Amino acid sequence: MMIEPFLESATPVWMHVEDDYSDIVISTRIRLARNLDGYRFPLVFSEDEALQVEQAVTHAIQDSSKLLERYSYFAIKDLTPLQRQILVEKHLISPQLAKKELVGSMLLSEDESISIMVNEEDHLRIQCMTASFQLQKAYEQANKIDRALEGALPYAFRDNFGYLTSCPTNIGTGLRASVMMHLPVLTLTGQMNQIINAMTRLGMTVRGIYGEGSENLGNVYQVSNQITLGKTEDDILADIQSVAEKIIQKERQARGKLMDKAELALEDRIYRALGTLTHARILTSEEAATCLSNVRLGVDLKLIDGIKAATLNECIVCMQPGFLQHYAGEALPPSERDRVRAKMLREALFQETLSKPTIGGKGEDSYDV
Amino acid sequence: MICEHCKQRNATVTVTQVQNSQKMEHHYCDVCASQFHPFHAEFKQEPVSIQQLLSNWFGSPTWQQKVGEKQQAPPQQQTCTYCGFTYKRFLKEGKFGCPSCYDTFAEHLPKLFNRIQAGPQHIGKMPGAHSNVYVVKKQIEDIRKRMKDAVDEEQFEEAAKLRDEAKELENQLQFEGGDVS
Repeated sequence: MMIEPFLESATPVWMHVEDDYSDIVISTRIRLARNLDGYRFPLVFSEDEALQVEQAVTHAIQDSSKLLERYSYFAIKDLTPLQRQILVEKHLISPQLAKKELVGSMLLSEDESISIMVNEEDHLRIQCMTASFQLQKAYEQANKIDRALEGALPYAFRDNFGYLTSCPTNIGTGLRASVMMHLPVLTLTGQMNQIINAMTRLGMTVRGIYGEGSENLGNVYQVSNQITLGKTEDDILADIQSVAEKIIQKERQARGKLMDKAELALEDRIYRALGTLTHARILTSEEAATCLSNVRLGVDLKLIDGIKAATLNECIVCMQPGFLQHYAGEALPPSERDRVRAKMLREALFQETLSKPTIGGKGEDSYDV
Repeated sequence: MICEHCKQRNATVTVTQVQNSQKMEHHYCDVCASQFHPFHAEFKQEPVSIQQLLSNWFGSPTWQQKVGEKQQAPPQQQTCTYCGFTYKRFLKEGKFGCPSCYDTFAEHLPKLFNRIQAGPQHIGKMPGAHSNVYVVKKQIEDIRKRMKDAVDEEQFEEAAKLRDEAKELENQLQFEGGDVS
């Protein structure tokens, strides 16, 4: 199986769904961590053990009659650094798996909504993703895979500590549920810090989408549970559900207030961002993320029409270094990436803004003054 | 024989020394022998290993200290027999080496889990096979409770019936490979 088809589009088909939450929630992800008894964890295991684990897991997945879905298998060591980076940018594998030199592989469903990582931090990590806010659906999918595999694999499990994991922060259920949310107005009005503090007290964590240290970039946050032991799966999902719903409600209220009080200023900000995206020649990732966030807000508030949310989701993923270099077809130094990023975003948004009289023009050349 | 050192008490210890291929024997009483040769006291504790003898000979019974430490070993000293991880290494790495580490360090973990998790006990989903064993274990626990009540109320016929029921479930559990303890 070739990896290329999975690298072609920034957002897979499953992302192109719009529902009542699409104005705020981008996607939902469920991850289950599992290990096999009788083998050391990937932190210390031998290459031989790694191979045995990989064979056991891949056979269990590919030979399972209970799994209706077929999976493509890729060994990480066979992928180029750029291919690995794109998979990380698409959230199909973790940065940790991408760094594996010898061991580590992934199994990917055709629509990319399910990716199973082998020999990452744990022997097995089942990850299921859905568009928008669908915790139950994503969990049911992950649970189905887990149930199908538990008969074929000797899971490391104890009555008291549950599913045993390399790191004690995943012990118990091994369940991590994350909801990716776009919260521009709560960030703008300075309420995010307060919310993050409250969530930490509730046993939840908040991270940015572009990895460590990118908490604020593009105003996109990942809310996930930190507690995995001492609660049932249903409790964990219910907690995340109610917290995410409260945040959605707060963001909507804040958006409403801002529209009432400062519609013109907001509209100005949003159109300036659109102007930058459709006209700039150099765009750093920070500026691009901020502008995309503002334009997305404009689309959600119906201040801009003609641009699809799906296009913006695609741009959010595409503007990252791996994708840019894939798009350019060559390795690029950072300064070149800023130029290519500007070009790529102009092209992506050009078609959709073409029909609008405020922008006009016949092609990219007409922007040049 | 009289002790050749104090020349008062009876000689009870014979010390053989080999020097320049010449074998010499000395005869001492208990008191004088213990002054010259601190290992003396250990001869009574059979069997004595050569390491014990040597360490005593040099006046530092380190093996004794080690045994003492091990008896009240902090978790750092324990080692997982499967992967060789110590609790100290776990604290350093923040991760365990293998599933058996959870058994090795089991007694220290509830405290840790109380701090970083919602509690020390898993109450979520279990793999299918475990789930069956768990259900049977719970049934046995329940029957044993009822059995005790029956004995307290002097309903011995009922208690005997319950005992047989529990035994049957225990056999079933052993057959499935579950630990009945």
